[in-house]
Amino acid sequence: MKKLNILALLIFAAAVVSVFTLDTPTTREIQSKVMAVLSPFIHSSTAIEEGITTASAPTLDPRELKRDNERLQIEVERLRIISQKYTQTLDENNQLRELLEFKKTSPFKMVAARVVKRVSSTWWNTLIIDKGLLDGLATDTPVISASGLIGKTGKMAPHMAEVILLTDEMCRVSAKIDGTLEQGIISGERAGLDLRPDLHLRFLRREAVINPGSLVHSTGEGGVFPAGLLIGRVKRFEIKDITGEAIVEPSVDLSQLRHVFVLEVQNPEEPPAKN
Amino acid sequence: MFFYPVTILLLLLTFVVQEFLPGIALAHHATLLLPPVYFFTAAVAVPFPMMLLLSFITGLIWDARHLPGAVRIVENSADSLLSGPLGMPEIVSGGGFGMGISILIFALLGTFLQGVRPLFKRGRVELPVLLVGFTTFAWLLLEYLIQTFLRGSLFFPTAVWTKMITDAMLAMLASPLLFLLLYSLAGLSRYEIKYDGLRYSFDGR
Repeated sequence: MKKLNILALLIFAAAVVSVFTLDTPTTREIQSKVMAVLSPFIHSSTAIEEGITTASAPTLDPRELKRDNERLQIEVERLRIISQKYTQTLDENNQLRELLEFKKTSPFKMVAARVVKRVSSTWWNTLIIDKGLLDGLATDTPVISASGLIGKTGKMAPHMAEVILLTDEMCRVSAKIDGTLEQGIISGERAGLDLRPDLHLRFLRREAVINPGSLVHSTGEGGVFPAGLLIGRVKRFEIKDITGEAIVEPSVDLSQLRHVFVLEVQNPEEPPAKN
Repeated sequence: MFFYPVTILLLLLTFVVQEFLPGIALAHHATLLLPPVYFFTAAVAVPFPMMLLLSFITGLIWDARHLPGAVRIVENSADSLLSGPLGMPEIVSGGGFGMGISILIFALLGTFLQGVRPLFKRGRVELPVLLVGFTTFAWLLLEYLIQTFLRGSLFFPTAVWTKMITDAMLAMLASPLLFLLLYSLAGLSRYEIKYDGLRYSFDGR
């Protein structure tokens, strides 16, 4: 072997070792920078894809559009009324809590984001949204939709973030089955390449009685996801060697996602100091 | 001699182009994985030190772009062990699949491809094309096997094989074009593809 090749091999080995020993903040920084550099192209590819979809879509009937518009206006009005009622109820609730000197539970602050890229061509189940670090998002923050839990945030760019989906084996959630005392850890399948892969709720008791159709919610005890988020519905219960395992159908159809909400769990307010 | 800088620039460009490549829905979103395929074709055309440099760039950027975000596993696991119901943390790393694995895999497969350089310099691309398909398949399989090993259970659904085989087929379809590009570039830059020991040489014309 030539001397130059040996020297190159040594330099290469040193460089690889240095990459393997990078600490988490440095790795995150490298990932963020790469994503930030590529983010304009990801946006452009989405715009092109949307353009092609729009161009190939059948022309909409103006009368149908008018009907849709009227229906949506009515829906907006209805939701506005509900929102006002909700605010009134929340104020009333807070007043009652103050009277009872009750510690407030952690409220959610949500950031709405648009799904930029849905399909991942690698082994990981991820999607990309159009909000990032400069929009106030952080890594490992829960992401939800109206139908339930979607996943958590991963890599961050200034105005873009990766969401690791619930259907990925890497995304684990402490979950419980409604109507029972059973709780375990739910996660997706390795290389869950189907559009709607099942979830696996593991570490349940073997003798647990679990009915198909039962709802599964997060417990809020695992450190990342708050309690009460809908995850899915039990399809069946399987008895394994040591524990039981429930196969769960996700509540969210991840292939149809357009908009998501990133939760920002705020710290509960400290009770006022008494003199 | 601008062959090497242009080869690196083209490699960087493939990462941009990759963002525009759609997946095949029928084959579980298999797609042409352009940066690795370009690396495998370039690995046949460049000498060993340059191949190592290309494998480093490809592996680092690929992992940075496609591996899920790194997490602080130790601290969060410890917190969850204290607070979690079953001592199972919600935050886990990429199954131990840290950044840098792809660099090693690319270097390993690139070294294997260096063996067909004499064929490439003669302008014969049949075997190199087949080998690019094989190395693409081997790379995906190795990544999947590493994940499987680190996560502790053997799980090989049909979807995994479908995706890997389709990716490899697409790589084989695209590689002749990439070889042609590299031949043209070698011709333009009067780059000689030399084999170890200078037994063979090729001026790109």
